[in-house]
Amino acid sequence: MTEAIQVEGLVKKFGAFTAVDSVSFTVRQGEVFGILGPNGAGKTTAMEIIEGIQEPTAGRTLVLGTDTHREQEKVKERIGVQLQASAYFEYLTLTEILNLFGRFYPRHLPPMELLAKVGLMEKAKATVGKLSGGQKQRFTIAAALVNDPEVVFLDEPTTGLDPQARRNLWEFVQAIHKEGRTIVLTTHYMEEAQLLCQRVAIMDRAKIIALDTPNSLVRRLPVPYEVKVMAEGPLPTNNLEALDSVRGVEFDGEGVCHLRSADAARTLQALLAWANGKGIRLAHLEVVPANLEDVFLALTGHQLRD
Amino acid sequence: MLMALTIANLKMIARNRQALFWAMVFPLIFVVVFGLFRFDEPLEVNLLVVDRAQDEVSEGLIASLSAVERFNVAVRQDEAELRRELEDGNGIYVLIIPEGLGPRLAQGPAATPVEITLLYDRANQSAPIIIGAIQKFIDNTNQSIVQAPTMLELRPQGVQARQFTYFDFVLPGLVGMGVMTYSIIGVASAMALYREQKILKRMLATPLRVRTFFAAQIMAFLLLSVVQAVIIMAAGMLLFNGHFYGNFLYMMALVVVANVVFLNLGFIVGAVAKNVRAADGMANAISIPMMFFSGTFFPNENLPKIIATAVEYLPLSPLLDAMRGVALDARPFWEYPGELAILGAWIVVSSVAAVRVFRFS
Repeated sequence: MTEAIQVEGLVKKFGAFTAVDSVSFTVRQGEVFGILGPNGAGKTTAMEIIEGIQEPTAGRTLVLGTDTHREQEKVKERIGVQLQASAYFEYLTLTEILNLFGRFYPRHLPPMELLAKVGLMEKAKATVGKLSGGQKQRFTIAAALVNDPEVVFLDEPTTGLDPQARRNLWEFVQAIHKEGRTIVLTTHYMEEAQLLCQRVAIMDRAKIIALDTPNSLVRRLPVPYEVKVMAEGPLPTNNLEALDSVRGVEFDGEGVCHLRSADAARTLQALLAWANGKGIRLAHLEVVPANLEDVFLALTGHQLRD
Repeated sequence: MLMALTIANLKMIARNRQALFWAMVFPLIFVVVFGLFRFDEPLEVNLLVVDRAQDEVSEGLIASLSAVERFNVAVRQDEAELRRELEDGNGIYVLIIPEGLGPRLAQGPAATPVEITLLYDRANQSAPIIIGAIQKFIDNTNQSIVQAPTMLELRPQGVQARQFTYFDFVLPGLVGMGVMTYSIIGVASAMALYREQKILKRMLATPLRVRTFFAAQIMAFLLLSVVQAVIIMAAGMLLFNGHFYGNFLYMMALVVVANVVFLNLGFIVGAVAKNVRAADGMANAISIPMMFFSGTFFPNENLPKIIATAVEYLPLSPLLDAMRGVALDARPFWEYPGELAILGAWIVVSSVAAVRVFRFS
């Protein structure tokens, strides 16, 4: 099976500024691949080069085995693109826009089928201006599917949406993925990458600094877990640091003790034995795995969103 | 694909109220204004006569003055009141015939001439013409009294075959102006908006060819400019009795050719401007001065020589000159090679510039 996308030594410079610096990665067919990074990391530029909208300074990109820049049209016929914060013609209805865009492709899906995919059937005769923020984003996804593409690119599909609209959009993305399409999406929301993506490339300052499944990325952290514990009485503060695999202890204002742990299983065993031995009854016990935010912080020394 | 995109463009134009205003209402307002104001209505002269003589000769004089075309003659008594009316600036002329006119004329040529006083408003611009006319009338009367033979005679002969009014002159100007303003402003703001909203970039992500996109834009606007020209001409001719003597198809051919230049200017402005507002402003800054300097409303021969020569090379001037030739002199457009050459040069230059400066994002 050919790879959905191959990126080899991609470089993009704007004058003295390097937006994308020697980036290489591969996206497998049928996976949801996320590019996670802060604003200005180069995610959009890299994606637009793969889509054939921008020309690279160096390197090459293949989509479904075809060179994006040698055979632009062939690639464009097989991909669907949602651009970051783009609008559509304000004086056409949703159906008219989908019909028009369909005409640009040799093969295209009927507008009503596309609107059904994103739950916008009842808005078929409305104009884009009459849609809410979430509906607009869903419509841009419908428009990206107009040619029944094998690979779909979504550039920050949930930026600017409220939490409910965001969750709602995730469901549509997962449904599109289930149809067998490969999805590449950029985001600066770690929970989005964690939930939707099989593999995530973390990008910062024009480079990819890590690439793996969300779980592996987290597991590779030196301290990938946090154990939250609360006793029925006050918890003795000493000795906790000596427990197996514990790398740090903190108390918050509510009497909850946070143990940073390199190995949750060992820490839990040691903690339970310790509590038993001292006759301490535990009121609450919880293991929280670290997330991609922590991975990003550990890799770069700065926050994903600052 | 081209047809689908052209139709979509036409739909969008038709649904965009603001754009439609520029396309249709704006030039039609001018048609109504110039149609209602009768700038070239023949001059009417209100001549009020104070007849102090009240004899056969003065009455004869008044009767023959009344017979003069466009002279409204009335006899009044109160000279002081007439002077007040004149001072109020209502543009009347007051002729005062002195007492004892008949008896003094009866004395024959030896007598001192009789003074007939003409009071007029010095601010009245047509006064010299009217005074000349009355002077000529008095001279003729004089001549017939002394029975001098006529040795020289002026025979005025009008050679203007077709009768056209100022409105007929302005109407093709309004067609040109309407097409120009709409094309420049319409395309500039559409392109700026498409870029601002990333619609251009979104189209770039489809297999649509860039040239197809442009062709559809241009087709839609060209089609619209023809509709616009027809509506403006029809309004002028049906509502305000405008005249058109030439071949209407020649006129449309000129509109379409010149419109390519205006559309290119629109693409250039749309590419150079930072946002939609700036595009609107720049488009206006280009089209409004051109509308006045290229002779939409008045012949630009009235401008200082250097400026008049310079504005002849603006794209609107040759269009208007050729359109007026077609409309008023009923000549085919190919009898205007100079004008067509200027337009051709503009098409080449503006096309190259438009392709050069255009950007998608």
